[in-house]
Amino acid sequence: MNAYFRLNVEILFWLIIGPFQRQGPKVAEVFRQIVRIGVEGLPMSAMTALTVGLTLAMQASRKLTELGAGMYVPDMVSVSMMRELGPLMTSIIIIGRSGSAVTAELGTMRVSEEIEALRVMAIKPVKFLVVPRFIAMMIMGPLLTVFSNYFGLVGGWIVWKLIQGKGTAIYITRSLESATAGDLYSGLFKSAVFAWLVVTISCHVGLNVKGGAEGVGRATTRSVVLALVAVFISNATLTYLFF
Amino acid sequence: MTLDSDSSKSALHDRESKDVVIEVKDLVVRFGDRTILDGINFKVHKGDTMIIMGGSGCGKSTLLRQLIGSTVPDSGEIRLYGFDITRMSEKELDPLRKRFGMLFQSGALLQSLTIGENISLPLLENSKVDPAIVDLIVKMKLELVGLTGFENLKPAEISGGMKKRVALARALALDPDLLFSDEPTAGLDPVMTAVVDKLTCDLTRKLGMTAVVVTHDMTSAFRIGTYMIMLGSGPHQGKIIAEGTPEEIKKNPDPMLRQFINGEADGPIPLKLSQDDYFKHLLGSG
Repeated sequence: MNAYFRLNVEILFWLIIGPFQRQGPKVAEVFRQIVRIGVEGLPMSAMTALTVGLTLAMQASRKLTELGAGMYVPDMVSVSMMRELGPLMTSIIIIGRSGSAVTAELGTMRVSEEIEALRVMAIKPVKFLVVPRFIAMMIMGPLLTVFSNYFGLVGGWIVWKLIQGKGTAIYITRSLESATAGDLYSGLFKSAVFAWLVVTISCHVGLNVKGGAEGVGRATTRSVVLALVAVFISNATLTYLFF
Repeated sequence: MTLDSDSSKSALHDRESKDVVIEVKDLVVRFGDRTILDGINFKVHKGDTMIIMGGSGCGKSTLLRQLIGSTVPDSGEIRLYGFDITRMSEKELDPLRKRFGMLFQSGALLQSLTIGENISLPLLENSKVDPAIVDLIVKMKLELVGLTGFENLKPAEISGGMKKRVALARALALDPDLLFSDEPTAGLDPVMTAVVDKLTCDLTRKLGMTAVVVTHDMTSAFRIGTYMIMLGSGPHQGKIIAEGTPEEIKKNPDPMLRQFINGEADGPIPLKLSQDDYFKHLLGSG
């Protein structure tokens, strides 16, 4: 646990103090990580959010129609996606797709002496390897959540328009009226917290891999499990605090 | 007194008159119950090519890792340029690390970077050299190891021997005054081994660089070494069993040393690293 907190402090040091010592992160590497973590993860996040929106609208429309509240389907999809499902589903995709890759990559670098080679060259592994991934994740986590929210709403609209045959204009109006800016911002705040947890846990576990290929495999599983648990617990805590 | 012993004494005197770059005092390293290095003492003088040799598992690479400050010993001192690195923090070690290069046994090239980016890494991170000059230096270092034109390939696209040569080019990128090499010629063909040996000799004898080389390759060791130590194994595990100039080592009658240098299967060097009795192990403790 101490090593995990030390890693967080070191990341903050290189982010805040580093640029003043002419040791800021390399912009090219940050963009490379943004592409790997975010841009390449967009189709998967979008597809997941679309299916979640579809499922949510189908489940809600049946029950709400029975209760005579069928008009509230857009409200439910919109608020659920922005407050909970957008940030949560995006984080789960990021953990499975990018968090595991970060742990495996850093773990392999550790067992093949690449990280030791960096240390011996007086290059700080946290500054060189972790900080660009951290910045990329902190930018792309909330950004992917915005896209997920949008695709979730599209999923709800598909059910609303194509299955129930209701109007697009009313779907948009109700979606926008029901969700407040607070719902959007609280969801984005959650996604930033999740991104922080995912990238720091993935990097911490990857940098401390022991053993060979088996160790890397075990570490990757461990990192995914720890990140999922951390995201679920923090989600419950933040939901309690916000709502 | 023979002419040989006169020249050997003279070489030793010349060596000891030079500045001490590395001084190791009573170094002890243990992994659990196993003692890997047991009271190691030696000095490396400026311009030396110190050869560390010994059988597999005798602690050569462990000793090298201690010298570069990667791990902390259980006891003892390692003075690098007069500073005791066993008591220094990572931050305090960094200025010293910028003064030496390290060639890892596996090469340890960063797989995500091209060969050119690997070699330019220490230059861009640890020096204020203009990026345009960095490109020139990369090309010069690649020419030095016979790999001109390979800068845009990834490490996965070249052979093991070529990776070793790229790693050597990276270790020499900042023109260090001290080079540590872990099995520099393993995986290289005889011609390339001779090229790497000549490069090491040129750097140490003409430019005054100091080198510490861990090797099994006796031809290479006698070609480049100016001082040699041999670590023992079995009952002598972790101790220096012989040391001296190459001439002294050649004449040393120690049976372990003779067996190792001549590459003989029969001799005092234990082949079994296991400490358990074979029959007890085979039949079980019951």
